[in-house]
Amino acid sequence: MQRIMLAQAGPGMILAKEILNPEGMVLCGAGTSLTPGLIERLAGFEIFDVTVEGHPVNIEGEKTLREELQEIDLRFQRVEDIAPLMYLKKRIQARLVASRSLEAVTK
Amino acid sequence: MDEQKRAQFKKVLREIKNLPTLPGIVAKLAKMAENPDTTTEQMGRLISKDHILASKLLKLVNSAFYGFPQRISSLNSAIILLGFNVIKSLIISASIFDVMEEQDVELWEHSLGCAVVSNVLARHLGVKDPEEISTAGLIHDLGKVAIKMELPKEYAMITELSQEKKISRLEAEREILGLDHAEVGSWLAKSWNLPNKLVEPIACHHDPQLAKEERVASAIVHFANIMIRGLGYGHAGDIWVPPLNNKAWKLLDLAPADIDPLLHEIEEKLWDVKGFSLDVQSVPEEAA
Repeated sequence: MQRIMLAQAGPGMILAKEILNPEGMVLCGAGTSLTPGLIERLAGFEIFDVTVEGHPVNIEGEKTLREELQEIDLRFQRVEDIAPLMYLKKRIQARLVASRSLEAVTK
Repeated sequence: MDEQKRAQFKKVLREIKNLPTLPGIVAKLAKMAENPDTTTEQMGRLISKDHILASKLLKLVNSAFYGFPQRISSLNSAIILLGFNVIKSLIISASIFDVMEEQDVELWEHSLGCAVVSNVLARHLGVKDPEEISTAGLIHDLGKVAIKMELPKEYAMITELSQEKKISRLEAEREILGLDHAEVGSWLAKSWNLPNKLVEPIACHHDPQLAKEERVASAIVHFANIMIRGLGYGHAGDIWVPPLNNKAWKLLDLAPADIDPLLHEIEEKLWDVKGFSLDVQSVPEEAA
């Protein structure tokens, strides 16, 4: 999932998280497919950002999957002899790969 | 390390001139809490007198790291749900982190993240008062803020040494000051009369085997700090995931099968707190 500005949202994108107004009331549930009319209405409610499924928007300066995986390797570099932490690293990387692979599906 | 110098640093850090002093309201609340006749309403009324503090407290309470299923809209219910110790430490956090948010956004993010993970772990383990453990996670690096504020020259030297020698910030602190942020943080927490449930996890978050009374809480904050660094959320001075203490790990008794569900829950909650700020007057920047 990706958090994007409402201005970047387009029809067909699917909400990964519900949208709440400042009072905490649900305006729009998760799983809703965005339409031009809906986006306009959300703008009227002064909603600035939404969380959508996949990774539909390329944000400039954003790290690539490979860069992120390398950074994880680097962070865990000093604890390579600690088995539980190597398992933790493996799972963090696997989850990242899985979440990014959704990009291809939604694009 | 020169003993004299260490003593001198210790003195400066213990006096803490530059950190915001504990708001007078905390002392008043502590007095009220001692009196068995004090009602929640009276406490709520006292806090409400400070509008900004009251709204900050409610904002913290309703943020993802406390994980209450329903929205808490009044101070009274916050006091009942969280208990006086948590409210007290929240007031302290709110004042400290005002400074921290301004000074070091990345450390603030790391702290928020550590609070989230501490909460998820505490709930998973079914410990009593998970809110207190979240709060311990939130303020575990308090000592770093104190060092930055009180000893800015040494703080810069620590940063330099850590980068130059590629050692952790903790090691660099010990080399330059003869003491570290965990120790400094625990003095501060003690001087504010915070309960041991907060003091020990701060003191022992790198050496949880030293915890005497709050072993589980210390182990949780220890592992939460590791997890949040592993996830790369925020920045705590150096990039490395610190070593895991075997004793703490055994105490937590986590199975490999627990890791994925925990990561899932943590990622969801981190998503919710992203960009969380205590600045109650700020308008989202995206609006511009």
